[in-house]
Parts: sequence; C-alpha cells; structure tokens
Amino acid sequence: MSIKRAFLLAAIAALFLSASVPSASAKAPYEAYTYDYYSDSVPLPAPYLPDRAVTGSSLGVGEFNQPNDMFVTEDESVYILDSGNARIVSLDKDWNVLRVIQKFDNHGKEDGFAGPTGIFVSDRKEIYVADTDHNRVVMLSNEGKLLRIFEKPQSDILPKDFKFAPLKIAVDQAGRMFVISRGEFEGIMQFDEKGAFMGFVGTIKVSPNLADRLWRMLSTKAQKEQMQLFIPTEFSSVDMDKKGFVYATTIDINSDDTIKRLNPSGQDVIKRFGYYPNKGDIRYRRFGNNSGPSKLVDIKVLDGGLYMALDSNRARLFGYNDEGELLYAFGGRGTQLGVFNTPVAVERIGERLAVLDRGKNNIVVFHPTRFGSLVNQATKYHYDGDDTEAVKLWKEVLQLNTNYDIAYLGIGKSLLMEKKNKEAMAYFKLGMQRKDYSVAFKRHRREVMKEHFGTFMTVLVVLIAGFVTFRVARQVIRRRTGNREARLS
Amino acid sequence: MKQDFLKFPLHLIFHPFSGFWDMKFERKGKLAVSLTILALLVLTTILQKQFAGFLVNFVDPRMLNSLDDLQYTLLPFLLFCMANWSITTLMEGEGKFKEIVMTTGYALLPIVLINLPMTFISRFMTQEETAFYWLMNSAASIWFVFLLFVGIMTVHQYSPSKAFLTLFLTVIAMAFVVFIGTLAFSLGAQIYWFIYDVYREIIFRA
Repeated sequence: MSIKRAFLLAAIAALFLSASVPSASAKAPYEAYTYDYYSDSVPLPAPYLPDRAVTGSSLGVGEFNQPNDMFVTEDESVYILDSGNARIVSLDKDWNVLRVIQKFDNHGKEDGFAGPTGIFVSDRKEIYVADTDHNRVVMLSNEGKLLRIFEKPQSDILPKDFKFAPLKIAVDQAGRMFVISRGEFEGIMQFDEKGAFMGFVGTIKVSPNLADRLWRMLSTKAQKEQMQLFIPTEFSSVDMDKKGFVYATTIDINSDDTIKRLNPSGQDVIKRFGYYPNKGDIRYRRFGNNSGPSKLVDIKVLDGGLYMALDSNRARLFGYNDEGELLYAFGGRGTQLGVFNTPVAVERIGERLAVLDRGKNNIVVFHPTRFGSLVNQATKYHYDGDDTEAVKLWKEVLQLNTNYDIAYLGIGKSLLMEKKNKEAMAYFKLGMQRKDYSVAFKRHRREVMKEHFGTFMTVLVVLIAGFVTFRVARQVIRRRTGNREARLS
Repeated sequence: MKQDFLKFPLHLIFHPFSGFWDMKFERKGKLAVSLTILALLVLTTILQKQFAGFLVNFVDPRMLNSLDDLQYTLLPFLLFCMANWSITTLMEGEGKFKEIVMTTGYALLPIVLINLPMTFISRFMTQEETAFYWLMNSAASIWFVFLLFVGIMTVHQYSPSKAFLTLFLTVIAMAFVVFIGTLAFSLGAQIYWFIYDVYREIIFRA
C-alpha cells in the first residue's frame, strides 16, 4: 500500500515538474518545407524565426500607410518607402530614425513624391526612388537633397505614346540603372550612368502553346482581332548582386522561368539544376482557395549565391542556392507574428531577414535558427569552393534533419573532389542525383578495373583456354568414335 | 525436357515462321513451357524494378509492390489471350485457346532473355551507357511484338493484313473487358455497401 502511494506521489510530482519546464524552442507560426526528388514537400525545422514586428508608431514617425518597398544597405541602414504617406523613412542599424524625407528642393520649388513604389540605395548612399505617379525616377543624396531627376527617356525604339511609370529600380556599381516600368513588356529598361536610355534587357520570349496556336489557326480574321494578343509578362522586381548581375522576377502563371539572372548583355544565366523549376511552389491547388502558382513579387540576393524570393500569393519566402535548388520555404498568411497579409519586399539585414508587409503596415524581422544558419553557411562555403568546411556543417545539418537531400549532395560533391568516389556514390544516391552519381561511379569503376585488371584477365584467358581445349577434345573424341563406328559398319 | 524447354523455344524465337508452324501442327509446343516463360517474365519484371541500377531505375521505392506488378505482366497476358480468342473465334481463326496461350507465352521469351541480363548489366553502367540499356529493352519489346504477330498469323492461319486487323481489334476488346470488369466491380461494390448499410441500420435499430 505504501509503495503504491509512493508511486502515485512520484507520478504527481513528475506531472507538476514537467509542466513547469517551458518548451525548449519557440514555435514558428508556419511549417517550413522543401521539395524532395519526388516533388513531395518535406517538412523542415524552421530556418528562420520571427523576432519582432516594427511599425511606424514604434519608430515614432506615425503609422506607415501602405509602404511599397524597402531597402537595406550593406552597413545595415534601413530605408522604408512609405508610399501612402509619400515619404522615405531612413533608419540606422539600431532602428533609430535618422530622418524622414518627405519634401525636397527641386530648383527652388518644393517637390515631393506621388505613389512611389520602388526604392534603391547605391553603394555611394544615393537614394533612387521610382516616383511612379510623377512618371520619373528621383535621385537623392543620403541627406535628402535632390541630385537628379530622370524623366521619360527619349529614344527611337520607344513608341510615341510611351508612358514612363517606373515601378522598381536597381542600380549597379557603375551607376547604371535598371528600371521596371508599368505596362512595359519589352523587358527591363537600362539607363547608363548619365541617365541616357540604353535599351531593354531580359526580354521575355513568348511562346503560345499548341492549343493557343490551333485555336488561332481555326479562328476567323474578325475573331483574331477580338483575341488577346500574345504579350509577354511584366517584370515584378529587380535586385543586383555583388558581381553586377541583375536578378529579376516575373509574374507569369504559365512559365517555369519566373526567376531570372541577367548577365551584362541581358541574357538569362540563372542555373536551374534542381529537381524541378525554381519558381516557388511546384505543388499547389489548381482551383479554389490558395490556388495557383507562386507570384514572386520580390527577390533579394544574399551571400554565397543564395537568393530569397517572396511569393505574395501564399505569402511565403523561398530560399534557393546558386544551383537553383530549393533550400527551404517558409512563411504563410495570417495575423500572428511571422506570417503576413500582403508581403511586398524582402531585405537582408546582416544574417537576418526583414519582410515589409503592406497590409499590416509593418516590418517583420527574422533571425536564422541554428538549422537555417548552418544551411546558409554551408552553402556559402560550397559556393566559395571551401568544401571541407562545408562538409562539417552539412554533417551537422544532417543531425538536425536526416531528410535533407541538399546536405547529402553537398557532402557527395566534396567527397567527389577528394576522389573518395565510392563514398560519394552513396551520398549521391541518398540525394537522388543521378548525374553526379554517374560521374562518381565512372571513376570508381575505372579504379576497380585498374586494380583487378590482372585477376580479371587471368580468369578470362584461363576460361577461354579451357573452352578451346574442351571443344578440341570433344571434336577428337567424336572423330575417333565416328571412325570406330564407320569401321564397325 | 531439354528439347522442350530450351532448344525449341530458342529455335522458335529465331525462326518464328517455321517455329510457330511446328508448334501448332507438329505439336512441339507445350503449355507448361509457355506458362514457365510467363512465370519467368513476372520474375524478370520484379527483379528489374527491384534491382536495376540506380541510373536506370526510376521506381519510387515507397510504391514498390511485387503483387501490384502483376497487373503489368499477368493481367495483360490473360486479357490478351481472352480477347484474342474472343475476336478470332468470330473471325474464322483456326487457333484454339490453348494455342493462343502458347503463342503469347513463347513470344514473351525475348523479353525474359534480354531484360534479365540487362538488369544485371545496368548496375555497372554510367549515365552515357544507359542508352544501351534502353535500346536493348526496346529491342526486346519490338522482338516480342514481331513474334506475337507472326504467331497469331500462323496459329489462326491468317494473312498478314488480317492478323494486323485482329490484333488491333484485340486491343480494343481488351479495353472493353477492362471497362466491363470495372463496371461490374463498382456495381458489385455498391450492392455490397447497400446490403452492409441495411444490415447496420437493422443492428442500430434493434
């Protein structure tokens, strides 16, 4: 009886003790995932967790009103384009307000913005604003003094009725501007450092599908005139990496190439070596709620070839490595901290991420978890060619998540470099990468053949000799018996 | 034994015209041999799905089920034999059902003979060499179709065009059988659930 009571007491004590211990990790309001080889989504530990939400009033500058874009420089100062209030809020790295730029002096007249949608800050701290409703790009100094205004460009290749309505802007180190203009299907407008229009880059090819073509063939001329034109889609955002390549996203439900990386001559050179196209979600509902492919509205290039794309359709972030493999996807729609209403911009603040939400009028700051930072760091090491360091991290990643194909591939690639072909084969098999597996296998096979060539040839020669002797012997025996039979008859 | 199981089938696949003639009129074919070849085919398919090299094996291991694989071997075989018999009886074919089974069985031999060693060899292939694997597999299938064509022609004593026509009709008949089978199955299921529901209703009321 007393033993029973003791047990009971112990059990009650255990209950209370376990309840008092808080859970070890904060829970994310979303489920992170990636896609495996079979294009099934595989859950991941959250790569990023939300820290806090920053609103206009928490900064002391009054609520934001539908902010459209945000930019964070290398030294982590933040520029928020508060479109509804037609102002720029400039913050230092500790989120203290430096200045609010609402008006600037335009040759003696006071001037401002009208419905601006894009902002970019160059390395020299010049602020470029796509002042959409004024049909111009405004270039300001960091202190908010007007430096230049770029109006509608003059060029022969632009039609007469061309309307310049810049939406997004990116500027390279040489001061060349890349501008996305509303209703401009030719591509991204490129301006030289003096502001002269140079032409379009990244023109999207249109290829009507078979059904469209057939339909067009069968329709009459009057019907054709009524039909929609096959026009390419517009770009939705631009960003610039450190090498001067332009990253851009488009919103096109029929395309698998919604993320582009344009080289200086305007060709798309992004790598698409993943199991499936790098276009955000690859599995989604066709109809109904939450359906349709991802609408990538912003892109940010991080270190080590990583880039982060923002999907406004399901309010998710997609992190890709330079090979075009999906590292992780996370985020979602909702009212909690860490999920969004209408996310419009993603920026990097050092290791952290910031997402601007137009619907909630706030900025959510995310910090990488151990898993996230390990993945990012390993990717960076691999990108820089430091594979031995990368392997250590990938092994740690695998301890956190054994279902992570990219870690297996990372280890496999490094083993391949070290000529450990057999081990590499095993890892490539786990990562379901047939191409690399084949390379490793080819080398392994050659090694084995070299090693066992002597034995192999000896066995072969002995077998052939044995076979020949057998045939000859049989022949001789047959002939003899045949002769005997012939003699007998 | 050796004659039946080895020499004659090998002779047949290389000399189909005389081979099928001998099978029908010289009674050289054996149903047991044909069914053995079918069993080997089932085995080959299972082994191929399970053990073919990583570079040529696109089977999702989570979905691997050897019993389910029968629907790619045994089921089409039986369907074909039944459908062909039904069609050819109406179209003055001279073959008996047993002969149709034998013909189809013997015709499957190239697939067994080629795919089984290829499964083994595929484990030692690199990406570039896998083209050879697919080539051999397709060759085996084409060989099979050719043998089947010749076999049906000989067994039923058809002209080539008529043999082609009956084969085409056989395929349609196969689809029909599958359709009717599914229909019967779904009706049966509905009747079953109806009775079950009534039973459950009574149980709950009582």
